[in-house]
Amino acid sequence: MQLPAAQVAVLEAASATDDRTVDAVADEVGETPTVVTRAAFELRDDGLLDVTERTEETVSLTEEGETYREAGLPEVRLYRAAMDAGAADEPVEMGELIGAAGLGGPEVQIALSNFARKGYGVIDSGAVSADPDADPDADTEANALESIAASDAGTVDDETLDALDRRSLVVREESTVRSVLLTDAGVDAMMEGVSVAETVAQVTPELLTSGEWEDVEFTEYNVEADAEAVTPARKHVLRQTADRVKDVLVGMGFQEMEGPHVDSEFWINDTLFMPQDHPARTHWDQFVLSNPAEMDADDMPSELVDRVARAHREGVGEDGDGYHSPWTEDVARGLDLRGHTTSLSMRYLSGHAEGELEPPQRWFSVEKVYRNDTLDATHLLEFFQIEGWVMAEDLSVRDLMGTFTEFYEQFGITGIEFKPHYNPYTEPSFELFGRHPVTDELIEIGNSGIFRPEVLEPLGVDCEVMAWGLALERLAMLVTGAEDIRDLHGTLADLEFLRNAEVIY
Amino acid sequence: MPVVDVDPDELRTLASTERSDEELKRDLFDLGLEFEGETEEGDMQLEFAPDRLDRLSVEGVARSLRYQDGTDRGVYVPKTNDAEWVIEVDETVPDERPYVTGAIVRGLDMSEAKLDSLIQLQEKLHATMGRQRAKGAIGVHDLTMLKGNAAREGAGKAISYRGIAPEEDTFVALDSTEELTPAGVLTDHPTGEKYADIVEGYDRYPAIYDDIGLFSFPPVINGRRTEVDDESRDLFIEMTGTDQWTIDKMCTIVCYALDARGGRVEEVRVEYPEGHPAEQRDLLRPDLTVDHKTVAHARIEQLLGVDLDEQQVVDYLERAGLDAEVVERDGAPAYRVEVPPYRVDVLNPVDVVDDVGRAHGFNELSPRYPDVSTVGGRHETSRLESAARDALVGLGFEDMLDFHMTSERDCLDRMGLDVPDERDPDAPVGQQPPVTIAEPYSEDYTVVRTWALPSLLTVLENNTHRAYPQDLAEIGLAAHVDEREETKAAERRTVAAVLARTDAGYEDAKARLQTLAGAFGKTLETPATTHPSFIEGRTAAVELDGERVGVVGEVHPRVLVEHDLELPVAAFEFDLAALE
Repeated sequence: MQLPAAQVAVLEAASATDDRTVDAVADEVGETPTVVTRAAFELRDDGLLDVTERTEETVSLTEEGETYREAGLPEVRLYRAAMDAGAADEPVEMGELIGAAGLGGPEVQIALSNFARKGYGVIDSGAVSADPDADPDADTEANALESIAASDAGTVDDETLDALDRRSLVVREESTVRSVLLTDAGVDAMMEGVSVAETVAQVTPELLTSGEWEDVEFTEYNVEADAEAVTPARKHVLRQTADRVKDVLVGMGFQEMEGPHVDSEFWINDTLFMPQDHPARTHWDQFVLSNPAEMDADDMPSELVDRVARAHREGVGEDGDGYHSPWTEDVARGLDLRGHTTSLSMRYLSGHAEGELEPPQRWFSVEKVYRNDTLDATHLLEFFQIEGWVMAEDLSVRDLMGTFTEFYEQFGITGIEFKPHYNPYTEPSFELFGRHPVTDELIEIGNSGIFRPEVLEPLGVDCEVMAWGLALERLAMLVTGAEDIRDLHGTLADLEFLRNAEVIY
Repeated sequence: MPVVDVDPDELRTLASTERSDEELKRDLFDLGLEFEGETEEGDMQLEFAPDRLDRLSVEGVARSLRYQDGTDRGVYVPKTNDAEWVIEVDETVPDERPYVTGAIVRGLDMSEAKLDSLIQLQEKLHATMGRQRAKGAIGVHDLTMLKGNAAREGAGKAISYRGIAPEEDTFVALDSTEELTPAGVLTDHPTGEKYADIVEGYDRYPAIYDDIGLFSFPPVINGRRTEVDDESRDLFIEMTGTDQWTIDKMCTIVCYALDARGGRVEEVRVEYPEGHPAEQRDLLRPDLTVDHKTVAHARIEQLLGVDLDEQQVVDYLERAGLDAEVVERDGAPAYRVEVPPYRVDVLNPVDVVDDVGRAHGFNELSPRYPDVSTVGGRHETSRLESAARDALVGLGFEDMLDFHMTSERDCLDRMGLDVPDERDPDAPVGQQPPVTIAEPYSEDYTVVRTWALPSLLTVLENNTHRAYPQDLAEIGLAAHVDEREETKAAERRTVAAVLARTDAGYEDAKARLQTLAGAFGKTLETPATTHPSFIEGRTAAVELDGERVGVVGEVHPRVLVEHDLELPVAAFEFDLAALE
């Protein structure tokens, strides 16, 4: 039989009749106890060796115990001093004995409390009387300290050990002692002869080029053992989700939009037919900028501005009404961080981004938007919005429903419900609800609608456009099961969370 | 979104229904009123989208329910009695708040519940259409307490809306016993303090007088003399504001609610002084004029994607509380639709189509995938960003995604950079005037980052307890103020990377940068430069194909210590566009 060197050594050192401790075997074969233990267990697994374990108590002296072993226990020193001072005959004042006994600090109290207990004499009103028949050399506690110091604690009775333990003079610790014994199979193997296998740890260039690899055996590894942790270089989990969304949308025929994060209220709100005194247009909801504060009048698309202003004031079409709210170009020129990427849709639909677009068209973006909201587990000040729209000659609410049903199915969200809703810029409008893929709860998953004529006509679009928006983080939380959005996004991110996040595909 | 508190028993009475609470909740949800919870008194709190402001009281919710049930059909307009009272608008009326409207409702058997509902409606209208009273404010008075002698022979009883100097007159306001001037109310009365900012800067304050004297200080507070209580039977309603249409609509909604409570609406004449547009000088209010919208049958079918017959459409419209007559428009069938005056949300025929859809039931429609084909694709910038990110990950970087918003402190100060007033093309990377938020949410988010390296150092700072090495990279937005741009901000995608490890050095950063540049076919050169965030002598400009686009180096110990880092960090940052 061929075995690794350490196992052969252990087999040879083990006996078939007497248990031998691992430490003893390690001493004999010149290996560390760790190596011997591992080899012993491997041999046990092969049935060649029995490994038994027992718990052993080791006792050692504390610092205080060691001091008393050298100087004598305080009560013994007091007795000897008392005898010298003649306290066997006449009581001697305590004060006279302390110096002679060399007692200092807490030792005095220790000496007093043990003196009477051990029958060395009596202390009455500060005067010490000694019993001449007591034998300090037979003090079991003092002798036990010597035995323990000599690693011979086994001879000390339990009662004395307990007493020393209470006096904090000893420390008792438990340890596991393993012993090995050859099994019958082990004995047989030894009889048949055991030799050391020629094993190679590492495949080397030399081994390969020399052809030597054909004659060697490779050391077996414990292939089940834990491996070292490796930090993964990986794409951010939210980027993975964004990529997935982009893939789906591109697959559905959507092209990607791109445009400014800092934009005018005109593109963010006015083109969307949001009245200028709409409550959502205050700094409570959007991030208004102080620098830069507004666009130059010359940079405003003046003809479009006029058409948009007219839609706000007078409405669109024969029977159309406008808002009864003030509208000024000054407000429209104000610069904000965009609160939605619908500003991009407006730039594209107006022809300002890509030139005039002829139907049919499908466009999307998965980009950052900014809201002056509360920062908490489900809200961020900035997040990714999935924005998409479809332009075609004859679009109906059913086409909108069909598009979103298809989109959400890609993420395992089915049974979409369309709840009629109100947006200033779409009519009809719908909040989208879907079933959570895991909990089956009905949850809001987006907002959608068909752009109003007051939005489209000023932009010069004379067919239907349907649009929808959804927070990517919301989809990501659904798909990843994350409970705190801040783990996913931002400088508060915990690297550990990102390193352990499951891959999205 | 607005929330209205509704007593379910009152709702059942007003809607003539015996539904259980659960059935009510379900049917209200179908109407777009979502049950949010219960008040302490057991009222249902219903949330709805802010278009149907006629539903801001139990009477309005009941009306919608009656239409949904088919208990009522078509347009309803309350009958009105002829005007006895006049609101005379004086020339002194403040320019900032020139408009007024009004109505009288008689024969109300007020109870505590009705009064509560009226007060709620008033508050909710203030919060929505009234824009917190700035655009329109409602005052409701006990008519019997008003004394209005005819100003001239044959004229009705009159009250007057005028402007007075802040200390010109006194009255006792609601919830007070003290005679105060309007100016005194603004400083000494809690309601006055709350709404003081609306009249800030007014030379003259709005004031309403009857023969006895000053009894209301709109939009702030009414006088105590005309206070309405549960004994009141006849009410005088006045509204002032900055827009005639808005206050007229608010008044209409209140009149419809009181009509549903058995009140008789009586007109009030509003007389504006000379100088007011002629056709608006003499008004009879409330304005209960029915509006008309014409919508083509084909348009309804096209938007809803279903075939409908004309009778069905008319039926749907009547169930929505509208009336319709079939007419011919451009040789095709169309509907001339009557819209009742409380509907403030119907601006365009498309809003009528929505009502048809709701009456038909949108969830009855079957989804279909639009039968048009388009070619999809990613934007070039987005593809470049993805490719660069893949390359960085291949080089062993963990991809980060940080907020674009940060503070001057994190973005500039702590990096050893100045906060410049002017854009400077020769300034160190990142040292440009930041895009700044006017009223920030918190001091941690006041600007848009001018570069991304500070974000990565912040992540390192927050993760010193996590395993090293921490090799992090991010591609994302950075921006600064630039007058030359359309939006006055230069936005760019920036590529930033840090190597935080015990033996990180300049060469480690440059080695990776070099590989990245090579992968995109760019030649990298690194002439020595200086940058306050980096160690002098270990800092270089990043030049790709001869163009200076970034910086690479070892981060300065001063910056490391500032971020509580106890090991070296090598870093680079450059414009993504340089890889194009």
